Amino acid sequence: MPKVKMPRSTPALDMTPMVDLAFLLVTFFMLTSSFRAPEPVIVDPPTSTTEVQIPKQVFLATIDAKGRVFIDITNNNVKIKVLKKILKSRKVAQLSEEDFKKFAGLGPIGISVKELATFMELESNERTAYSEAAKGIPYDTSSKINQCELYEWALETRLEAHNDFKEREEEAKLKNMEFDKSNYIQFAIKADGKAPYKTVQSIIAVFREAKVKNFQMITGLESSPTN
Amino acid sequence: MAELQTGGGDSGGKKRAKKQSTRVDMTPLVDLAFLLLTFFVLTSTFSKPKVLRMIFPEKLKDPINQKVPEVKNGLTILLTENNRIFFYNGALDKNTVLTETDFSKDGIRKVLVERNLGLIKQLQEFEKELDKIPAADTAAKSKVLAKVKDAQRKSTLVVLVKTDDKATYKNMIDMMDELLITQIAKYFPVDEGFMPLEKTLVQNQLKS
Repeated sequence: MPKVKMPRSTPALDMTPMVDLAFLLVTFFMLTSSFRAPEPVIVDPPTSTTEVQIPKQVFLATIDAKGRVFIDITNNNVKIKVLKKILKSRKVAQLSEEDFKKFAGLGPIGISVKELATFMELESNERTAYSEAAKGIPYDTSSKINQCELYEWALETRLEAHNDFKEREEEAKLKNMEFDKSNYIQFAIKADGKAPYKTVQSIIAVFREAKVKNFQMITGLESSPTN
Repeated sequence: MAELQTGGGDSGGKKRAKKQSTRVDMTPLVDLAFLLLTFFVLTSTFSKPKVLRMIFPEKLKDPINQKVPEVKNGLTILLTENNRIFFYNGALDKNTVLTETDFSKDGIRKVLVERNLGLIKQLQEFEKELDKIPAADTAAKSKVLAKVKDAQRKSTLVVLVKTDDKATYKNMIDMMDELLITQIAKYFPVDEGFMPLEKTLVQNQLKS
């Protein structure tokens, strides 16, 4: 009997379509994804059944379970303008233009403006550690209300948000472009579910002193009840 | 092409000019592509967080001289430690009895639905009306929406939510969510917390 000769074939596979697809997906995800902002504190917000999406631009106050407040403004221009105003009113030395830009990209911060100069000098990994150990933005209102830093942040942001909106409206008018009216900086609060409501309430009270009335409480998603 | 280079070559004979293969080994490329793919899939945030809107009135300069609105159909909800909730109807006096309930579907939601049934039914009617109106007819739509607003304004049920020091933020959000689900038209979180009598009533309930 003759030996059965197995044909010597190479296990070749045309991978071109697969590579095409893979790169297509990579491109898609690269272009659509927005990265999660670095967060100095991890908070676990409670869930709710609302389906209202977060506004495009927010002043975000993050409150952790211990009651520390971290703030962030999603509009970098406004963030820098607000900080400049606060530094001026508190007679703290201004930062360099470069540092302002760096500051805008840092994400939520939870330190007093007095510590800002030292904070900016740190390396980025030291900064994260510093932020994690920070005390949060001071919001004690026992002395005069305009001594309270959180109050100042809220007030200046409210004013700047208005200016920023007007500026963009005018610019759009000049260029004859459509203007997105929904793009107004709003105040959002992201608090940990375990934080005492009293703490959140006293922080909201500071905002209310600054004539901020409308709050967007960030919540996780929960399926809405049927019926 | 990913291809195993099976050795061999011709076993002697004529020497031919070696045919240079134009194929490139794509395996590392594929590896890299999928690595990137996995990275972007895992890091991208798809769903934006949802928000629950809360509107607070401006702080009053002179709270003492404010007119106290008359409440005929009141419901006061007290949030306290360990996710416990109590409620009572109407005004607070010596004979007030607290009822305990919880955040489950048959707890506070049932209570609120029962109290708000009139408005819920009205709103359902309006919703049906809205569904019938074609999308282009904005005038008719705004007419119905005005009716909705009117019904909400005329609703007599007023829900007050009070918290003590031990209630958590989660309790408050859950409560607000329930109020939204049951379509309560008038509800207010109370800044001042419990009144002294409420405090003792809750303390008695917690002890027993």
